[in-house]
Amino acid sequence: MSLTLVGIIGIGILLFILLFLGMPVGFTMGVVGFGGICLVISYKAALGMLGTELWNTFSSYSLTMVPLFVFMGEICFYSGLNRRLFKATHTLTGHVRGGLAMATVFACAGFAAICGSNTATAATMTAVALPEMEKYKYNPALSTGAIACGSTLGVVIPPSVVLIIIGLYTGQSITKLFYGGIFAGLVLATLFMVTIVILCVIHPEWSPAGTKKSLTEKIRSLPGFIEALVLFLLVMIGLYMGIFTPTEAGAIGSLCALLMSVVRRRLSWEGFTSAITDTLQISCMVLVIIGGAVIFSRFLAVTRIPFDIADWVSGLPVPPAAILTIIFVIYIIGGALMDALALLLITIPIFFPVAMKLGYDPIWFGVMITVITTLGAVTPPVGATTYVVAGMAKNVPLGSVFKGVTYFLPAYIISVAVLMLFPEIITFLPNLIR
Amino acid sequence: MEKVIEHLDRAVIVVNRGLIAIAGFLLVAMMVLACANVFFRTVWVPVKGTFELMGFFGAIVAAFALGRTQMKKEHIAVDVLILKFPRGVRLVLSGINYLVGMIFFSLAGWQAVKYGNNLWRVNELSETLRIVYFPFVYGVALGCGVISLVLLVDLIKLINNGNEVPR
Repeated sequence: MSLTLVGIIGIGILLFILLFLGMPVGFTMGVVGFGGICLVISYKAALGMLGTELWNTFSSYSLTMVPLFVFMGEICFYSGLNRRLFKATHTLTGHVRGGLAMATVFACAGFAAICGSNTATAATMTAVALPEMEKYKYNPALSTGAIACGSTLGVVIPPSVVLIIIGLYTGQSITKLFYGGIFAGLVLATLFMVTIVILCVIHPEWSPAGTKKSLTEKIRSLPGFIEALVLFLLVMIGLYMGIFTPTEAGAIGSLCALLMSVVRRRLSWEGFTSAITDTLQISCMVLVIIGGAVIFSRFLAVTRIPFDIADWVSGLPVPPAAILTIIFVIYIIGGALMDALALLLITIPIFFPVAMKLGYDPIWFGVMITVITTLGAVTPPVGATTYVVAGMAKNVPLGSVFKGVTYFLPAYIISVAVLMLFPEIITFLPNLIR
Repeated sequence: MEKVIEHLDRAVIVVNRGLIAIAGFLLVAMMVLACANVFFRTVWVPVKGTFELMGFFGAIVAAFALGRTQMKKEHIAVDVLILKFPRGVRLVLSGINYLVGMIFFSLAGWQAVKYGNNLWRVNELSETLRIVYFPFVYGVALGCGVISLVLLVDLIKLINNGNEVPR
């Protein structure tokens, strides 16, 4: 049996176990990679690799940035920063028609700038923004759709765990990926706002205007922005100036978030311990997937399948843009079936060499697949963020939440098209970094 | 049997609570260490061995959280199709998953112990601080052992009660 065939069978078994056995993604990749190396090299080699690869992954200095950035987001979450962000944006835009929905998207974008968790953002925004929108008789589909889609910005706007993992996995600069994600996230957020404006024009009764707040109230709400802005700028400027590494940025961001929360008496001891426990669980989940992906990619590398596919695809008599579009469609379908991080770790060893062979910019490609896979967080059948919103919004049926999400789907599609047509939107800032 | 499962369950909870406390402490230590390194590097000299200590602490942080993450069913799985299967099929599949996962992590833990033994035998030292680091490798092995134990308890519960552990 040729190595290429073994590789293809390995990928087939991986997908079968994932879809039909429901085994956790990290375990599956580890098991299939281990089995594959047993078959291709030897049982002894596979066993030896198991212990050392797991140790090398877990003890990697680069990967320590994962728990540190997650910790920063969790501290902000438990100190109620996203609640304050929503209150601040609500105070400024609540009196405009559709203003509460826009405030929700803006608060989601702001919280995304310090926390990479979709579900944490979705849960808090549902708890905070939905009652407010219900009070003003907003259409339930519009309000829940805005929350679910706004929450997905967390993965695109830096710092984002998904961008970190793409950077580490493909050997690209994490700082450049972070900077590439800024405008991509802003394009998406802007298109969400445009969607809300259009819906307000078509259905004025869906989003009545709220009461206008006094200037004093507006000024009083400003600290809600300042905390998030300080943390975001601290991390991004520090990285841009080369003052600290991404890992150190995560540590400094965590420490600053902790100090701000403690000084302003926003974080209880229970909140602090919960932030630690959640950080440990999320980081462990991410690192197990990476550990499994490393073992699986070792197997793929032995079979040379990623390189064979890259050579084969680049030799096809089809324009590169068509091949890229097919790859993106695969990501859209895959994103609807499984978690974004898992999907990226399975597919990057196969599609990243193809994109490079076709001559695309690695930073642009990394950010693009991040934007595309976020779509899967709100679309059925997986749509984890949508389920979180529907689970918390007791008065809104799941069908209405999915209906609300569909209003925002054109925004995703247009943003992908815009970012494909004008790649400079993504590459402009990273190219400024030396 | 019920009593044995109860004792095993309680033991797993206590062990994981202890491991999470250590991992949490090391997470905070990582944050402080990295910040101290930036500060001292700016005003004087970097803190020696920061990179390797961060890696060692990070390994323990991840490994010691393995058991609890499994207990809370936080490891991501694709269950879109599984949820459509009849209950009996789901139970069998869950059992296979626990068994395969348990064997995988037992093997990983065993190999980590062997790797640690090897480092100990040759007295391997870290590059900068020149300290032995096999205890951290044993820590990873311990984490793998604990997740295997959690998976074993899940499997026994499944066989004994015929109930799926909710995801």
